[in-house]
Amino acid sequence: MSTNLRRHWMLQGIASIGECGLFFVAVLGAVPKSLRYWRELARQIWFVGAMSLVIVMTCGLFVGMVLALQLYYTLSIFGGTAALGTVVALSLFRELGPVVTALLVAGRAGTAVTAEIGLMRATDQLDAMSMMAVDPLAYVASPRFLAGLVAMPLLACVFNAMGIFGGHLVGVSWLGLDNGTFWGNMTSTVDLHKDVLDGLYKSVVFGGVVSLIAVFQGYTAPPTSEGVAYSTTRTVVFSSIVILAVDFVMTAFMT
Amino acid sequence: MNPRPSYAIGTGLFILLGFAALAYLATQTTSVANIHRGNSYLIKARFQNIGQLKERAPVKIAGVRIGDVQSIALEPQRMDALVVMSIDKRYNDIPDDSSAAIFTSGLLGDQYVGIEPGGSPTFLKNGDEMVLTQSAMSIENLIGKFLVNGGPKSSGTDAAPASATPPASGKP
Amino acid sequence: MTVASDHQPVPGDALVQVRGLRTQIGAKAIFDGLDLDVPRGSVTAIMGPSGTGKTTLLKHMTGQLRPDAGSVRVDGEDVARLSRRALFGLRERIGFLFQNSALLTDFNVFENVAFPLRQHANLPEELLRDIVLTKLQAVGLRGAAALMPSELSGGMARRVALARAIVFDPMLILYDEPFVGLDPIALNQVLRLIRTLNKTLGITSILVAHELAAIRRVADRVYLIANGRLVAQGAPDELEHQDSPWTRQFFGGEADGPVPFHYPAPDYATELGFAGARR
Ligand SMILES: Nc1ncnc2c1ncn2[C@@H]1O[C@H](COP(=O)(O)OP(=O)(O)O)[C@@H](O)[C@H]1O
Ligand SMILES: [Mg+2]
Repeated sequence: MSTNLRRHWMLQGIASIGECGLFFVAVLGAVPKSLRYWRELARQIWFVGAMSLVIVMTCGLFVGMVLALQLYYTLSIFGGTAALGTVVALSLFRELGPVVTALLVAGRAGTAVTAEIGLMRATDQLDAMSMMAVDPLAYVASPRFLAGLVAMPLLACVFNAMGIFGGHLVGVSWLGLDNGTFWGNMTSTVDLHKDVLDGLYKSVVFGGVVSLIAVFQGYTAPPTSEGVAYSTTRTVVFSSIVILAVDFVMTAFMT
Repeated sequence: MNPRPSYAIGTGLFILLGFAALAYLATQTTSVANIHRGNSYLIKARFQNIGQLKERAPVKIAGVRIGDVQSIALEPQRMDALVVMSIDKRYNDIPDDSSAAIFTSGLLGDQYVGIEPGGSPTFLKNGDEMVLTQSAMSIENLIGKFLVNGGPKSSGTDAAPASATPPASGKP
Repeated sequence: MTVASDHQPVPGDALVQVRGLRTQIGAKAIFDGLDLDVPRGSVTAIMGPSGTGKTTLLKHMTGQLRPDAGSVRVDGEDVARLSRRALFGLRERIGFLFQNSALLTDFNVFENVAFPLRQHANLPEELLRDIVLTKLQAVGLRGAAALMPSELSGGMARRVALARAIVFDPMLILYDEPFVGLDPIALNQVLRLIRTLNKTLGITSILVAHELAAIRRVADRVYLIANGRLVAQGAPDELEHQDSPWTRQFFGGEADGPVPFHYPAPDYATELGFAGARR
């Protein structure tokens, strides 16, 4: 009876949220110690950030281009195509930049982190570290968590810049909008704090969420090939859901 | 000592690139690009009703942006809105009998302050106040007038709607 | 029988002291009141059928696992009661050879062996290099220093893991099945290494192994564990000739005896469906 109850999926879900919360606290607690392993942190920033550049830049370019096309069409209905630069920039900075970047990073880097840590667990590497008196939370978990926190907003900035470039390419070079109008409208409306920085705050939070989920899933992955595979999938699914939910909440509070 | 020094260099480059992108966004796409502190002067105008005008809304002459709205405040004694505008120093030859009006860009766009130049030989200086102003025209008002007076031709009492199609938007 | 009379060591003499150990994993009782002592400076072998909990016992000694009851003392300290910091301090003095090597796949052989040194000792690069190469030389893999773990065979990985376990010259080394996958030459080498470490540096060694011939060559003492208890102990030769059902089964290799060869299961005939047919 009680095991039946404990196996109920909703209770299990709540329990794993609780575990994740406790894990978060443990990772945060290990952050000061992990600063000793700054080289590992650099390696993880390289892995999460620099290695994601190509995909983030490509996607940023195309998102900016398609935004310009779609919004040009919409704005032309209202005779407001002069505002194209503004709406492209606002859509990117406030919403698409942080969210799409986070989804991309969850897919590219989050899964890799989960699989890596899951395999380290399965091959006793985490136990071996702790046997060599190196806390795997500080050596493995915290640097990956911090790397997500640092890399995500930087990637979002790159994404945004590429998006603006793509939007300009379509709006000005292709659709023939006036260059001055495009930039002038944008610069007069876009606000550094309200738009650019608020978007970055979102990104920082997404970075924390994605890397926490990835590290947690890896840490708790059953030490089998199937277990690691499932955990990797869960990283993508949970990250995506949590990113969009947190995005909604943060947007509601920020506007 | 370091097993793979390329990581440190690559990471450093990545961080620099990220910050370069941020700097680019901050300076080239936001209003920071338009702030010329010390290169602008302030003029004031009072309006009965500012409608949806917001701070940092553009100020235009003949559709060309010359500055922006710096602050909007209610003046308690006269119960009207005091709008302070910051104008680029380059445009320091606005006649002091010019009039200011609040327009809407497009049908549903944001509102801005349009300045209609007068003919006076003396120009507005820092801190001057424009005397001739015209309040925002709200769509509700327009529709109300239209219904009461039975047609657009009788709206001649108020010139705003006619002149509310300024060449603001540059290109169509 | 020597079992009872031998089991009275001087407490101060024992580096590892297990008393009344009880452990349950899931529904299965792994240990049920286990007592044993490992004298300082000895090479002690732990034998037992697979799945009895030999790895689990080593994990108790390093505090990776807490017992449900009883105590495990290492160097006088109750491992389960140590603070995290003290536990890590203790672990710095213990080398552990994992059953499956557990090399860090991110690093090459050299960096794997250097890892504990880099983490805990701030040595000049020159000295660190010398120490690491010395240890690699001892296991015969100095030439493999630049290889990645994925490029090693199981036996080579085991030897690298051994080099890593001894890089700090610990006071105690725990070997979990160190001889599996070693060819006879490497086996000889490793046996000689264990003996040398013990003789020259006085390092206490506990090794879990099944290879009786190898154990006879290095171990001073053998403990035989089965069903969660210590069932026999003594010097290797002595134990072999002990007339107990446990040792007869274990060293004689008889399938029938106190240790069941079969994992607990329902009746064979019933499960195959014959019982039903008969009924
Ligand atoms: N994580 C675990 N979960 C469940 N059972 C385990 C776990 N680890 C070990 N066991 C059980 O504990 C027993 C002892 O395991 P172990 O100490 O590895 O045996 P061995 O003596 O072969 O080294 C085994 O029967 C195994 O089924
Ligand atoms: Mg084992």
